Amino acid sequence: MKKFIEQSWLILTLGVVFAVLLAGAQTSLAPRIDANLTRALNEAIGQVVPGVVKTESLTVPGYDRAVYKCLGRDGQLVGWAIDASGAGFADKIRLVAGISPDTTRITGLKVIENVETPGLGNKIADESWARQFRGLEAGRRMVVQKRPPAAGRNEVQAITGATISSRAVADIVSDALDRVRPGLAGLR
Amino acid sequence: MDFGALAGVFIGVVLINNFVLARFLGICPFLGVSRKVDMAFGMGCAVTFVMTVSGVVTWLIVHAVLMPVGRWLGNPEALFFLKYVAFIMVIAAMVQLVEMYLKKFFRPLYNAFGVFLPLITTNCAILGACLLIDMNEMYRSSLLKSTVFAFGGGIGFAMAITIMAGIREHVRFSDVPKPLQGAGITLLTACILSLAFMGFAGIGK
Amino acid sequence: MAEADNSNLRQFTDGLVANNPTLVQLLGMCPTLAVTNSVENALVMGAAVIFVLVMSNLITSALRNRLQPHVRILIFTLTIATFVTIADLALKAYVFEVSRKLGPFVPLIIVNCIIIARAEVVASRQGVARSVADAFGCGLGFTLALCLLGVIRELLGSGGITVMRDWGWSWHLDPKVFEPHAWVIMIMPPGAFLTLGIVIGVVNHLRSRAAAKGGA
Repeated sequence: MKKFIEQSWLILTLGVVFAVLLAGAQTSLAPRIDANLTRALNEAIGQVVPGVVKTESLTVPGYDRAVYKCLGRDGQLVGWAIDASGAGFADKIRLVAGISPDTTRITGLKVIENVETPGLGNKIADESWARQFRGLEAGRRMVVQKRPPAAGRNEVQAITGATISSRAVADIVSDALDRVRPGLAGLR
Repeated sequence: MDFGALAGVFIGVVLINNFVLARFLGICPFLGVSRKVDMAFGMGCAVTFVMTVSGVVTWLIVHAVLMPVGRWLGNPEALFFLKYVAFIMVIAAMVQLVEMYLKKFFRPLYNAFGVFLPLITTNCAILGACLLIDMNEMYRSSLLKSTVFAFGGGIGFAMAITIMAGIREHVRFSDVPKPLQGAGITLLTACILSLAFMGFAGIGK
Repeated sequence: MAEADNSNLRQFTDGLVANNPTLVQLLGMCPTLAVTNSVENALVMGAAVIFVLVMSNLITSALRNRLQPHVRILIFTLTIATFVTIADLALKAYVFEVSRKLGPFVPLIIVNCIIIARAEVVASRQGVARSVADAFGCGLGFTLALCLLGVIRELLGSGGITVMRDWGWSWHLDPKVFEPHAWVIMIMPPGAFLTLGIVIGVVNHLRSRAAAKGGA
C-alpha cells in the first residue's frame, strides 16, 4: 500500500490539480463558446428570412433537425428557417433555408458549412449563387440545370464545373422541405 | 442494418477521404515505416486493429460514462472537457495491451516491430480517428457506423502505407537528387498518390 | 550567470533554426501539412503549440527530480492533454472560425511528436529556464516553418493572403498578379505534400552547402 502511494501520489495530485484547472477554464469560457456556436446560425437565419427579429426553436414531427419560427418586430410570423444537412461532393453540407409564412415559397438559402472543392464547389456558399433559390416554390423539387433557369420550372443554374455540389444543395433543400412542410402545415 | 449506408461510410473513409492522403493523419509512420512492403503491411494491420478497438472504446467512454455521469450532474455535456484526457489515456492503455499480447503470443511479429509498436500511441491517426468520430454528427450517435469508420480508417492507412512502400522499393534504385533523398522524394510521391486518390471524390454520390 | 544566460539563448536559437523541429528534425508533420493551407490557420496553430510546449516544458522541468521511470510518460501525456484542452477551449472562445477550420488538429497537438520529444530530451533533464528557452525556440521555429509553407500555399492557391481576425479587423495581401491564375491544387492535399517536399529539399540543400563550407 505504501509503495503504491509512493509511486502514484504525484500522478494523483497532478490529476486533481489539472482537473480543477480544466473545470475552471471550461466554466469561464463556456458562455463565449456557446455564443459563438449560435452566432453563425443566427446570422444565417437573418439572411434567409427577411424581417426576422426573434426566433423560436421548435421540433417538427418527422424531421430530426432544428426548425425555427421567425417572428418580426411586432411578434408576427415572418417565415420559417430550416436547418438542413446532407452529403455533398466532398463531405457534409449544412445549410439554412428560409420559407415564407405560408410555406409555399423559399425566401432565401445560405450554406453555412461545407468542405467542397475550393474555387469550384465551395461557390455554393456565395450569396450570388444562393440568391437563385429565392422565390422558388417550396412544394416542388428544385431542378439544377447547366443552363440559365427557365421561368416557372423551379430551376437553378449549376455552378460551372461544380454540378454535383450544386445538385447536392438542391437535393438537401428539397428533401428537407418534403419532410418539414407537412409537419408545419399543422402548426400554422 | 442499412448496409448501403455502412458501405458508404467505409468507401468514404478508405478511398475518398483517405486518412493519410486526404486528412493528413499518420504522416510520421507513413514517412518512416514505408520502406519495405512487409513492414508497412504489418504496421498497417497493427494500426487497423488498435484504431478499431480504440474507436469503439472511446465511443463507449463518451456515451456510457461521460454522458450518463453528466446527466446525473444535470447536463449531459458537463464532463466533455475531460474528453481529450480520457481519449489519450485509453489509447495509451490499448497500445500497452496490444504490445503485451503480441509479446506473449506472436513473438516474431513483436520483434519485427521493434520500437514502432509503442510509437503507435503517438500516431496521430489513432487519436485522430477517435476525434473524427466524436466530431461528426453522422457517426457520433451510431456505434456501428463509428466502428466501420474506425476500421475503414485503419484499412485506408494500411493501403496508403503499403502502396507507398511498394513505390519506395522501386525508387531505391532510381537516381534521386541528394537534397530530396528520404523525406523529400517520399513527400513528392505522396503528392502524386494524393492526386490520384482525389479521383475517387464523388463516388459517394 | 552570464554563462547560463548564453546557453539559454543558444538553446532558444537552436530550436529556431539549426534544429528546427519541422524542417530539420522532421517532427510534427501532420499539422504541418494540414493547417498550412492558409497563413491564418498556421499562425493560430503555431500560437497554440507554443503555449502547450512552454507549459509542458515548464511543468516537466519543475518536476524533473520527482519523475520515476514508469510514470514518466503518463505524466507527460497528462500534462500535455490538460494544456491542449485549455488551448482548445481558448481558441473556440476567441477565434471560433479558425478553430473550426483547424478541426481535429488542435486536440491532435497532444500527440504532436515535437512536444513529447522536447519533454523527454530537454525538460526532464535541464533546469526550468533552459527548458522554457527551448520551448520558445522550438515553438517559434515550428510557427515560422508553418508560416513559410502557409505563405507559399495560400499565395499560389488562393491568389492572396487574408488574415481575418474574428475580432473585426482583417489584413489582406492581394498581389493581383496571382489572382487570375490561382493554382487551386496548392490549398488541397497534393499541394501540401508538394510544398513540404520541395521546401525540405531546399533546406537540405542549404544545410549540406553550409556544412561543406564549414568543413572546408
